[in-house]
Amino acid sequence: MIAQFIDGPLWTFSLSVFLIGVIWRIVTILMAGNRKDLATPRGSASAGAVRTVFSRSIYERSAATRGRLLLIAGYLFHIGLFALLFFAQPHIDFIAERITGLGWTAMPHWAFILSAELAFLGLLLLWIHRLLSPVTRLLSDLDDHLGSILVFLVMLTGCLALAQSFESLRLIHLLSAELLLIYFPFSKLMHTFTFILSRGYTGATMGRKGVNA
Amino acid sequence: MSDRFEQGLEALRQQIDARISSYFSSCVHCGLCAEACLFYTETQDPRYTPIYKLEPMKKLWRREHTFWGKLGSIFGLSEPLTEKDFADWETLVYDSCTLCGRCSMVCPVGNDITYMIRKQREGFSVAGYAPDGMKEATRRALKIGSPMGVTYKTLKAALAHVEKDTGLQIPVDKKGADYMTLFSSMEIVNFPEYIESIARIFDATGVSWTISSKAFEATNSGIQIGNKEAAAELVNRVVIAAEDLAVKYVISPECGHAYTAIRWEGPNLIGRQYPFEVIHILELLEQLKAEGRLQLEYRDATPMTLHDPCQIVRRGGVVQQPRELLNSVAENFVEMKDHGVMNWCCGGGGGVSANERAEPLRLHIFDRKKKQLQETGVNTMVTACANCRIILEEGIEHNEMDTEVISLTELVADHLTASSEKK
Amino acid sequence: MNGGSNHSLVGHGVKTTVIRLLLLWLFALPLETVADTKESRGLPSTMVLNPAAELWRDVRQRDMPTSGTSQVRGVDSGVLINANGDKWRKFRMQQLIPIGGYLLLGIIVGLTLFYLVRGKVKIVAGASDRKLPRYTSYERLIHWFMASIFLFLAITGLIILFGRPLLIPIFGKEIFSVIASASKEGHNLMGPLFMVALILVFVKFVRRNIYQKGDMSWLLRGGGIIGKKHVPSNFFNMGEKSMFWMLVLVGSVIVVSGLVLIFPVFGQSREWMELAHVGHAIGAILMIGVILGHIYIGSVGMEGAIDGMKNGYCDLNWAKEHHDLWATQMEKRGEAIANEDVNRFSDPDTNESLGRELREAGK
Repeated sequence: MIAQFIDGPLWTFSLSVFLIGVIWRIVTILMAGNRKDLATPRGSASAGAVRTVFSRSIYERSAATRGRLLLIAGYLFHIGLFALLFFAQPHIDFIAERITGLGWTAMPHWAFILSAELAFLGLLLLWIHRLLSPVTRLLSDLDDHLGSILVFLVMLTGCLALAQSFESLRLIHLLSAELLLIYFPFSKLMHTFTFILSRGYTGATMGRKGVNA
Repeated sequence: MSDRFEQGLEALRQQIDARISSYFSSCVHCGLCAEACLFYTETQDPRYTPIYKLEPMKKLWRREHTFWGKLGSIFGLSEPLTEKDFADWETLVYDSCTLCGRCSMVCPVGNDITYMIRKQREGFSVAGYAPDGMKEATRRALKIGSPMGVTYKTLKAALAHVEKDTGLQIPVDKKGADYMTLFSSMEIVNFPEYIESIARIFDATGVSWTISSKAFEATNSGIQIGNKEAAAELVNRVVIAAEDLAVKYVISPECGHAYTAIRWEGPNLIGRQYPFEVIHILELLEQLKAEGRLQLEYRDATPMTLHDPCQIVRRGGVVQQPRELLNSVAENFVEMKDHGVMNWCCGGGGGVSANERAEPLRLHIFDRKKKQLQETGVNTMVTACANCRIILEEGIEHNEMDTEVISLTELVADHLTASSEKK
Repeated sequence: MNGGSNHSLVGHGVKTTVIRLLLLWLFALPLETVADTKESRGLPSTMVLNPAAELWRDVRQRDMPTSGTSQVRGVDSGVLINANGDKWRKFRMQQLIPIGGYLLLGIIVGLTLFYLVRGKVKIVAGASDRKLPRYTSYERLIHWFMASIFLFLAITGLIILFGRPLLIPIFGKEIFSVIASASKEGHNLMGPLFMVALILVFVKFVRRNIYQKGDMSWLLRGGGIIGKKHVPSNFFNMGEKSMFWMLVLVGSVIVVSGLVLIFPVFGQSREWMELAHVGHAIGAILMIGVILGHIYIGSVGMEGAIDGMKNGYCDLNWAKEHHDLWATQMEKRGEAIANEDVNRFSDPDTNESLGRELREAGK
C-alpha cells in the first residue's frame, strides 16, 4: 500500500512540485527585473555572460592556495553526482520509463561505482568541512544542512539498494529522492539552475566593462 | 522603529533587482569569497567573509521574496530586519569593505558581491548608519564641491604654480576643447605634480583640453557612502559643465572611484546617456602613444612593480593600458604575483580612507600589500590612483619600509622627449 | 590431527603453507568434537553445522587429484568439490564469530568497568585560561572523514559478520535479508573510501608518529593511566603512536584483503578469497577493538581530550599534563592563546562585539 503510494501519487506529486517550483522560482527572479545599463559598453555583454557561465567552473588560482582540498572535493561531488544521476543504468531506465519515454547509453558499471564513490568522497569532505570551518559555521543555516543531509540520504539509500534485489530498499531510495524533489525549489539547491543566471548577470556586467570574469 | 529607519528599509527594498535575487538564490554558503577578501585573509576573522556582510539585505530578501520567508512572516516566525541589524552591521559594511571586487571574481556561482554591498549601502546611508567621516565628506562634496573642501580658489592657486613652473598656459573654461579633465581633491592637495604632468603631456602631444571652473572634482563620495541621490548630484555637475563647454571627452584622472562613478554608474544615476565620451587618463595616454603622438625617451633601469587600482583595473576594465605605458618607460617591470584583475586592494578604497574608525584595521591589512612587495623584491611601486598612493605611503611608513610610490602619469611625463616639449 | 592438510597440491607452494599454518593453529583448538556430531551444541539454531560431516571427511581423504578439466575457462573451474571451503565455513561460524564477538563484548565491558573504577581522567590543575593550537582544520577534516567512514564500515561489517546469530532472532529472516543486502552494498561501496582516508591520514600524521626518545619509557610506565602520576610525552604519546601504526598496518591488510574480496576478477582462487576474508575479518575486529578504546578516551574517558579535534585548540593545562614536552615547547614559542581570542574566531556571536572593538581601537 505504501509501496503503491511511493511509486504512484507521491512520485507524480513530487515531480510536479519540482518542475513547477523550479520554473516559478526562476520566473520570480527574472520578474524582479534589471534596470537598463545606459553606460557605453566597452565589450559585449552577451559574450561576457556566456563566457562567465562556463569560465567560473574553473577556480581562481589566487584564492585557492588554502582551499585546495575543498576545491577538489567540490569538483568530485558535482561531477560524480552528475555522472551517476544521468548515466547510471538504473537511473536511465527509471527516467526512460517514467519521464522521457526513451533512454540513452549508460556508462559501464565500474564507472557508475567509481562516480558514486567520488561523489560520496566529495560530499563527505565538503559537509565535514562545513561543520568545522569557522567561516562556514558562521554562514551556514538550516537550509544548508538540510540540503546536505537530504542529498546524502538519497545517495546513501541508493548505495544500499545497489544489489537491486529488494523492493523495500528501492522504495526507500525513491522516497528519499521524492522528498528531495519536494524540498528542492524552496531551498539553496536551486543554485543548480540559478547559477546560470547569477554567473550570466555578472559576466554580462563585467563583459560590458571589458573584463574577463 | 524610527522614521529614518523605515526610509532606509524602503531604500534597501528598492535595490533588490533580478541580479540581487539570483545572487541570494545561488549562494550556497561555501565561504570561498572569504579567501579572496584581504580583510579576512589578514585577520582570519570569519565575520569579514564578504557574503556575511550582506546579512541585512539577505534577511529582507528572504522575508519578502522567498517561500519560507513569506510563510514565516505570516505566522510571525521569520525575523524582520531591525534597526539593530543596521547598527550591528555598519562596521562590516563600511569599515571592512573597500568595494575592491575580488570576491566577485572568485564566487563559484558568479555572485557579484561587490555590487550587492554597493546596493546595501543605499539602505544604510538613508537610514543614517554610515561612518561619520564619510558622511562629512559627502556633505562637503555636496555643499562645497569637494569632499576635502577644496574650492576653485585652491585649484586656481595650484594651476598658477604649474603655469609658473612649466611656462605653459592652462586653459580654463575653454569652450569647444576636445577634452575636459577632472581632478580628484587628493591630487590637487597632495599630488599637484599630476597637474603639471598632464599639462606637459597635452602640450607635447597637441591635445586640445580644458578644465571647468564650475565642476572639476572627480571624486564621488556618493558612490562610496552608497547614496544614489548624492552620487547623481555630483555626476550631474560634471555632465552639465561638460555640455556647457561642448567637449567631446571627459577625462577621468588618477582616482579609482571617480572612474567608476563617471564612466559606469553616471549615466544610470542621472538617467540619460552623455553627449560626450568618458576616457581614463591612462586610456588616453596609451592611445596617444599608439598613435605616435606621445614620444617617450629612454627607459628607467630601476626595477618597478605595478599596483593595480581596483576601480580602474578590475572594476573598470582598464587592464592593459597601465602595463603598456609602464613597459615603455621601465626596463625592469616586475609584475606582482597576483597582478592585473586579481591584484590586491590597497585597503583604502570604497570610503575606508575617509573613515577614521577603520584606520587600525586598514593599517593591519596592509600586510597583504607588504607581502606582495616583499615577494617581488622591488622597491619602487607605480600606481594610477591618488587615494591608493596616500594609503600605500601610509602603510609603507607604518611598516618602516623604504618603498617609493610613483604615479604612472607623472612617470610618463618625466620621460617625454626633450624635442616634443616646447620648454 | 585430521587429514585436512595431507594433500600436497603441486605448485601451490607458499599459499598452501600459509593456509596450512593458519588452519593448524585453528585446529589446535578442540573442535573435532563439534565436527563429529550432527547436532549443533550451544549455537543458535540459525548456525547450522554441516550435516554431512562424514561425507566431507571422506572427500578430504581421497587419494586422487582434486582438480579436473572443464570446458569453462577460469580459476578453480576444474574443481568440483572445494574441501577447503567447508573448513573455512566452520572457522567462520565456530571460531571467528563467537571469539570475535566475545572479544569485542569483553572490550566494551572492560572499558565500562575501567570507567567505573578509574573514572574520568580529569585535568589535575584544572582548566586553564589559555589554549594551544593543536590541530589545523585540514587535520580535523581528515580525522572526522576517516572516523565517519570507519564507523559506517564497522557497523555494516559487524552486521554482515554477526547478523545471522544476533539479528535474525530479532528481525526475522525476511527483514534481515534486506538489512544484510543493504549492509553488504554499503560496505562494498564505501570500502575504497577507507583506503583514501587511510592515505590522507598517513600523509598528514606520519611525521608526528615517528618513534622519539621517551616513548618507550612512557609505554613501560603504562602512560600513567593507572594511578595519578603523569608521564611526559611529545605531540603524540606512545599509545597514540601505536594506534596510528596499527591503523596503518592492520588497516592496509584490511584494505588489500577488501580489494581482493570486491574484485574477484583478477584470477584469485577460492582459497585466496577465503584467506582474504579471514585476514579482513580478524584485522577489522582488532581495529574495532582498538578504536573502541580510542573513542572511550575521546568521549568520557578523559577531560579535554576531544577539544583539539573539535575546534582545533586544546587546554594548556591538559597539554602540560598529557603532552608535556610538546606543550612546553609551544609555550616557549609564545603560541599559547587566551580563551576569549579562541572563542572570538571559532564561534563569533554577533557584530556588536566587532563594532565595539573597532570603535575602541579607533579612539
